Amino acid sequence: MDFDLENPLGNFHDLPCDAVPSLFLIESDHIPPPNYCQSLKASDFDISVRRDVVSLISQLSCTFDPVLPYLAINYLDRFLANQGILQPKPWANKLLAVSCFSLAAKMLKTEYSATDVQVLMNHGDGGAIFETQTIQRMEGIVLGALQWRMRSITPFSFIPFFVNLFRLKDPALRQVLKDRASEIILKSQREIKVLEFKPSTVAASALLYASHELFPFQYPCFLRAISDCSYINKETVVQCYNVIQDIAREEYESVLNINSTSDTPVNVLDEHFLSLESEKTNGTNVVVTQEQDFKRRKTTDYGNNRRVPFSHFHQC
Amino acid sequence: MEKTGAGVVVLSAKEAFEKLEKVGEGTYGKVYRAREKATGKIVALKKTRLHEDQDGVPPTTLREVSILRMLSRDPHVVSLMDVKQGQNKEGKTVLYLVFEYMDTDLKKFIRSFDQPGQNIPPETIKSLMYQLCKGIAFCHGHGILHRDLKPHNLLMDRKTMMLKIADLGLARAFTVPIKKYTHEILTLWYRAPEVLLGATHYSMAVDIWSVGCIFAELVTRRALFPGDSELQQLLHIFRLLGTPNEEVWPGVSKLKDWHEYPQWNSQSLSTAVPGLEELGLDLLSQMLEYEPSKRISAKKAMEHAYFDDLDKRNL
Repeated sequence: MDFDLENPLGNFHDLPCDAVPSLFLIESDHIPPPNYCQSLKASDFDISVRRDVVSLISQLSCTFDPVLPYLAINYLDRFLANQGILQPKPWANKLLAVSCFSLAAKMLKTEYSATDVQVLMNHGDGGAIFETQTIQRMEGIVLGALQWRMRSITPFSFIPFFVNLFRLKDPALRQVLKDRASEIILKSQREIKVLEFKPSTVAASALLYASHELFPFQYPCFLRAISDCSYINKETVVQCYNVIQDIAREEYESVLNINSTSDTPVNVLDEHFLSLESEKTNGTNVVVTQEQDFKRRKTTDYGNNRRVPFSHFHQC
Repeated sequence: MEKTGAGVVVLSAKEAFEKLEKVGEGTYGKVYRAREKATGKIVALKKTRLHEDQDGVPPTTLREVSILRMLSRDPHVVSLMDVKQGQNKEGKTVLYLVFEYMDTDLKKFIRSFDQPGQNIPPETIKSLMYQLCKGIAFCHGHGILHRDLKPHNLLMDRKTMMLKIADLGLARAFTVPIKKYTHEILTLWYRAPEVLLGATHYSMAVDIWSVGCIFAELVTRRALFPGDSELQQLLHIFRLLGTPNEEVWPGVSKLKDWHEYPQWNSQSLSTAVPGLEELGLDLLSQMLEYEPSKRISAKKAMEHAYFDDLDKRNL
């Protein structure tokens, strides 16, 4: 038996869309049940507990592939949906965060330092140092609650499939698009409202948003490719796109508020463009054009809170 | 596992099941036919000690159990119904995998037609082959290769004629080991030529080759390519399908274990699989294509005209 957990649809790059129904059919098994989102909203306390554990998981996994924290937070949500918030204590939150992180790392076969985890978890208060057996016991509880269905289908599972639909031929441009979409997916997971959408919908919406930012001239073609996919509900993608747009806009506003250009997503994107420019002499003009358009769009977006309607792009 | 809370009793695996008999043993543990006390249901209980280091459940175990849980939704994959953690007498952690129990396998089924001239009915062959293609298509649709398909790990319910794929991943560790000195080397007979020639990148086509070999065996009740070494396995294949060259299989001579071989011309499949109808021979030939990328996929196989007259409503 062999499989690529991170790219389960990768073998199908030469096959038509209808050859890959399986992940679309089962992805609902790997997200919290629909009422989880509503029950979280109903309780400020539950939201704050989730936020705390999400924050802890993010600290633990900030140096790893974005799939890892996403998977760990998925386990958290599914666990909370199954068990509820049982023990509202800071040490219990930490134990849950460590256990979800550890299980996700095992699923992805990612090595990490247990010492680093201990140091990070003890920062801030002089509190609990978890024994190995304690973590193992908690892992067992999480595994049981999730019925050992740990191979979650995440939005990352669908990105290569959708990117192939876009028929973007330059590998570097594909990577830029994937990276930006991954960044958007990871940030959006922190928001409760995204939990209502299926992973494939989140992936499609994040890619559309990223393509709108990065490749606005090609955006209508990408939109058509997504719309033509028979496993995607277009209305739901529109709703999810709007949610993601709101989250991404908050991101820009927070960047403006900080008034600093270091370590911001915008800088990351600029870096990518500079890299592209140095790599592609023949494509310099095209890349420069893209970069200029991107900068103009940023300026426009900063001063304009109006949401761009989906239907607007049909006319391009 | 029951939800934790006041008043809920969590039964350990030992308390929940009554072991009836040991039916197998493998590298990592034992297989029992067992009865679930609460429901009376017969299950296959597979017990494995975790190679426990300080990290608790090993990543490999976690990944493979998760895969089995995901694949269990298909009716043609043996269902992993539950997973229970327990402790043995020495206090070590053990894992109990609870599978649905199937009373026979395809190998035993084929051998039960042992009288001269007694063949498996064509409609039975067609039904079993369709179920096999459907189960494999499901696995491949999830990016899962089996890589060790053979009649022994295709379980059957004799009453309903349902077929289910078993021995995926960790579950494979429970296969009864081949005894020393047996002349039957099961895993070679169904192995794809690119594997035998040392290809490092496996594709889903390796499973399709195995399906083709099983197809032929259902018709003739004998293995199609019964080699007793890797070289003999290749020679069996080349004698029937012709020795491959760069023309029929681009890249074949670059494979790691390629050598000079006797040059045979291909023979008609009908000589090796007499009694199979024309459409069946066509499907079989597409499963036994030398070039992996040209081999038919499991999904396309399900759509082949050979299955047109099969009643698929209950499959």
